[in-house]
Amino acid sequence: MADFIANTKRVLLRFKTAVKTFFWNVRRVVNNFKKRIGKFLDKHNLNVASKFPGWAKALLYLSPALIVLSIFTFWPIINSFALVVYENYNMSNNTITGYTVFGNFLTVITDESFIIPAAHTGSSAVINTLIIVFISVPISVLLALFIAVALNSIKPLKSFFQTIYFLPYVTNTIAIGLVFAYMFRSDGGLVNQLLGMVGIQAQGLSWVESGAVYWRSMFVLIFYSIWSSLAFKIMVFLTSIQGIDKQYYQAAAIDATPRGRIFTNITVPLISPMIFYILVTSVIGAFKIYNAIVALFGVSGAPPGVDYNLQSIVMYIYQFIDGSNAGNLSVAAAASLILFAIILVLTLVQMQVSKKRVHY
Amino acid sequence: MMDKQLFVKSNKIERLTFLFDILAIVSYITLFLFLFNKLELPEIINGRMDLDNLQFMLPSYDVLWMTWDKFQMNSIIAMIILFALVAVPMFAINYKKLKTRTIYEVDSYVAASKFTQAIINFFSFNPVSAGLRIYNMFVLVEFVKGYKPKEFFKSIIPAIKSKFKDLTTKKQAEDTSHLDEYSLSIKKSIRRQNVTYVVRLLFTYLFLVLMALLIVIPFYWMILTSLKDFTGATTTNPEFFISFSRMNWVNYKVVLTELNFGLYIRNTVIIALFSTAGTIITTIFAAYAFARIEFKGRELLFSILIMTMMIPGELYIITNFITVSKNGFGWVGMPTGENQYFLAMIIPFVTSISYIFFLRQNFKQIPESLYKAARVDGCSDFKYLMRVMVPIASPTIFTITILNIFSSWNAYIWPRIITGVGGQEGKNYWLISNALRDTAFVQDNGRVMYNLQIAASALVTVPLLIVFFTFRKYIMNGIGRSGTKG
Repeated sequence: MADFIANTKRVLLRFKTAVKTFFWNVRRVVNNFKKRIGKFLDKHNLNVASKFPGWAKALLYLSPALIVLSIFTFWPIINSFALVVYENYNMSNNTITGYTVFGNFLTVITDESFIIPAAHTGSSAVINTLIIVFISVPISVLLALFIAVALNSIKPLKSFFQTIYFLPYVTNTIAIGLVFAYMFRSDGGLVNQLLGMVGIQAQGLSWVESGAVYWRSMFVLIFYSIWSSLAFKIMVFLTSIQGIDKQYYQAAAIDATPRGRIFTNITVPLISPMIFYILVTSVIGAFKIYNAIVALFGVSGAPPGVDYNLQSIVMYIYQFIDGSNAGNLSVAAAASLILFAIILVLTLVQMQVSKKRVHY
Repeated sequence: MMDKQLFVKSNKIERLTFLFDILAIVSYITLFLFLFNKLELPEIINGRMDLDNLQFMLPSYDVLWMTWDKFQMNSIIAMIILFALVAVPMFAINYKKLKTRTIYEVDSYVAASKFTQAIINFFSFNPVSAGLRIYNMFVLVEFVKGYKPKEFFKSIIPAIKSKFKDLTTKKQAEDTSHLDEYSLSIKKSIRRQNVTYVVRLLFTYLFLVLMALLIVIPFYWMILTSLKDFTGATTTNPEFFISFSRMNWVNYKVVLTELNFGLYIRNTVIIALFSTAGTIITTIFAAYAFARIEFKGRELLFSILIMTMMIPGELYIITNFITVSKNGFGWVGMPTGENQYFLAMIIPFVTSISYIFFLRQNFKQIPESLYKAARVDGCSDFKYLMRVMVPIASPTIFTITILNIFSSWNAYIWPRIITGVGGQEGKNYWLISNALRDTAFVQDNGRVMYNLQIAASALVTVPLLIVFFTFRKYIMNGIGRSGTKG
């Protein structure tokens, strides 16, 4: 038996060596061949690869990305400036009736549901979006900052909490939005149930269904947008707080500095670039809110049977692509250029402010 | 008394145990699939499933040699899922530990944990692993303490007695009579400091727990509701817990078959895989060009790319819709049968500027001298990229892969616009987000099947959570770093 095993082992080993040698030989032959071709090319001045100029090589590497980008990123930017000067652009047969300079912008600006609040609803896309931005961004940034500082100050269970706080980041916005809408149901929803437990008689109180008041639906929307955007901010703040030099805290500890002062005078100034970055990105993100509204209220952007609308600017744009006013893409392009202008101005203002405030 | 032979023996046993662990996990999964396949669906009336009858059916199942009713079936499936939920992470953690464990890290706690795991194994119908783990525990005890099994049993009772004694004997009150007033005051202030420290820690944890509850409750409510029946999901007084026997696993089956979510998940997986593969390839090449190859106008081109990141995506979507429809490439909006929905949903997303930026930052950190050394040795650019850059930056590339898959899983507006122009044909190309929003969960009699709707949401969310928990470290580190570098 032992003899048999030893024999088998020997045979296997020999087989292995044979395979290995074979591949080494193949490799050697290929390399020799390559070398010969290289010599030949050098001799006859044909070696293009070694004389490749930098830009040609770069173009070779960049071309896959650049081709896609130029079709689906650069061309749309150019084309949208063309689209806004078309009058009555018809997408299905690609015809226009004439040209106009500001006509499409005027259509958007004077539209009842864009800037000017409609008489019967009292809200418009811009007002809705501004409310969402100016309420949800400060709350979520502050909350994320507090949670990050609290997380940084504990040791046991830290990674457990970190994992839990990260969960909203890895979910499908629509799926969890449906769950939120279900939780805020007027009749038998979890939230009303919990409110009833605390002692507030809330059974039948409508949040996202027919009969909901503007501010109640808005509350649910803002709550959901804060809930889903918290994870990223906490992660970024926590990483930057962990990057602060421990010496500052040790110095503060020697001076017996109160916790509040450590927070306002050490932590916040030292991560201020990060706070600024998060502020800019989350303001931009909040301006582009769309999926959350669709998840909670459907494509109409409002609870069924109410006279107001929770449409955001992006939602207003999309209704020209496949909503109620489908087909009028010039107006959509004008509205999205207005959105771009708003975001650009806000970013520039924030940059100006940050020059004075942010410590680098 | 460290006997290396025993350590090696313990590792061997552990490896053998893994074999049976895997066997158990595989059998859980097959059993689950087998039983899930057996679950009875309502009859089809007029081409639609009679979902109103779903909660009133009382089918009986003949499995192997037994007959189970609906409730027993539900409990058994729940048990199997519970076992799998315990066994898989346990196996993963043990496997990781075995790979990294050295002889110096083995102590009595390792032996104790083997014992707990053996009990868990025993109760999840895996007696072989349980036995092997108990045996492993004895080997480890001998390795750590030098006790043979007999001596070990003898030593248990005295050990417990001495522990008990430690607990019952009171601490002697500290004698403070010899201290002067100053030392006493310092002692007092230290105690006060300790008290404030504990109180602050308590409040911190309280705050964190409250916030964590706020995060977790929607997930819990989602899983809970997805398993309730229609009455349970729409009652005025919803339950906060349900027993195993009343978990309606058939909800998931209805969602997968009658509501077509199997097809939508398949579509989404196809889109995610292809667009991610494309993104990785184009991104690596472009990032390499921006990080290493010197050419005129590199910074200019790069800053143009960065600037386009500020432009809202809606602007692109308007023109891209024209580009892919019949006046452009003709991928959508054509007569039925000539449409290329997958192309229209994949090609615009095979590259990403933000990932190029992220990866370029990573490539730039790799020292230039490495590149020069490789060049001196006659390494071509392509070879250098593949052999040096990609392996070094592989964590980042992996993060990008996962993030891109997540974003494909989340895609809503572009697929909606694309499939929206196709009428009935377009519906077969819905991705999960579209299906979740636009599937009619309403019955003909006006009932909204909330339990099925939430089950569909759970079906969409659970794969993401599984991926997240598997690659937790990569994802979380990647997000933190990508934020830090802006």
